[in-house]
Amino acid sequence: MITFKNIHKAFGANEVLKGISCTIPTGSVTVILGPSGSGKTTLLRSLNFLEKADRGEITLDDIHIDVENVSKAEIHQIRQHTAMVFQMYNLFKNKTALENVMEGLTVVKKLPKAEAKEKALYFLAKVGLELKADSYPHQLSGGQQQRIGIARALALNPDVILFDEPTSALDPELVGEVLEVMKKIAQEFNCTMVVVTHEISFAREVADHIIFMDGGVIVEEGAPEKLLFNPENERTKQFLSRYVSFTEYNI
Amino acid sequence: MGNIIEFSFMYDSFWELLQYVPITLFLAVTTMIFACVLGLLNALIQIKEIPVLKFFAHSYVLLGRAVPTMVMLYIVYFGLPVFLMAFTDKTGIDTGYQHISPIFFAIVGLTIHTGAYLSEVFRSAILSVDKGQMEAAESIGMTWWQGFYRIVARQAGVFAVPLLANQFLDLIKGTSLVFTITVVELLGGAKIACADDYRYLERYLVVALIYWGISIIFEKLFLLAERKVGIFQKGI
Repeated sequence: MITFKNIHKAFGANEVLKGISCTIPTGSVTVILGPSGSGKTTLLRSLNFLEKADRGEITLDDIHIDVENVSKAEIHQIRQHTAMVFQMYNLFKNKTALENVMEGLTVVKKLPKAEAKEKALYFLAKVGLELKADSYPHQLSGGQQQRIGIARALALNPDVILFDEPTSALDPELVGEVLEVMKKIAQEFNCTMVVVTHEISFAREVADHIIFMDGGVIVEEGAPEKLLFNPENERTKQFLSRYVSFTEYNI
Repeated sequence: MGNIIEFSFMYDSFWELLQYVPITLFLAVTTMIFACVLGLLNALIQIKEIPVLKFFAHSYVLLGRAVPTMVMLYIVYFGLPVFLMAFTDKTGIDTGYQHISPIFFAIVGLTIHTGAYLSEVFRSAILSVDKGQMEAAESIGMTWWQGFYRIVARQAGVFAVPLLANQFLDLIKGTSLVFTITVVELLGGAKIACADDYRYLERYLVVALIYWGISIIFEKLFLLAERKVGIFQKGI
């Protein structure tokens, strides 16, 4: 279970998170929606301390962190339990697809090479890219790179995978394959997924829980059917009205 | 001496002067190794923004690049012994400053000079790597140093090698200045020999040719290194 308690974060004078508190149950798929600049990504990145929040408390299962007094060891510990999929994929450019997935297994989890390779190939197969094992990132399409990014995260067997707008940098034709993979792992693996996205249809189909943020606060949260079809808050209604066609769109 | 340039003489002096090539190469390579260590440390201090040290690192880059090589050599050659002498006087620990070979001062002077430039080479190379690479490394639980060594440094290398080649070629030729502090290397050897027969032009032409040859060999070597570190970019 992930709990955020009263998280604050400001970049200079710009207050991005204004006291966020929420709970994300273990094994759930939680989608964070909201307009650009609402603090979605910052909230996501504050969990694994790629962005250090100014104050507040973060709990991940039995790891409890007071953000203000966080130690290097605590940051390292929480990162051992989480993995992230990035908007710009961020595959290691100097490593092949296979090495990208193996890297965390051999360096962080200290698995022997043979075992790591076997495991990495298994996860590459999961995302349908076992044939691309020896390709370097620049030889792959954006969608393929992102799927390898997902395999890299998944291979670590993390408690939580954080998805930071995983399809925003992809051209529309490639969005589908990535969402497909995400849907598949949501069903097959029992890890918690927190997804920042603009793909409303994905949220509707896959999410257990949706959080709608605007202006650094959580405006509304709830089950997809309720939040997407019967939003209570005016701001949520206004935001969703731009996605008129999402009910007809299927991936 | 009928001709202005006597080729048979040049041929003979070429073989004579070759004996000084090892000392020139020794100076250049040793200095490069030390300067790389110094430059990389200095760049990392600035990038990691280590308190206090970053102030020194920054000042070193500013000052190190602002002093002409020869002035730096003089300062080290005349200054360091005085410093060591004072140290011996104060503490009683014998530094043996009277017996230090001038080649040591030459290497120290050249290292301080080259290190300041290399610091900027390494800093820009590291900054050229997309920030997301380190974030990805940290997100899968690697430490900063693991991420730096295994991911960022490898990619920065592709950027750095051509610049290192530049700096090293410059350094090879920079070693010709150390004759001013009594180290006899290629140019120094030629100068001494010229004092006997006054055949400056021919001998200096030979010296130029030798520098040219050395430079070409290293240019090729660096080109090979560049291909090797950039192997993952094949096809870009």
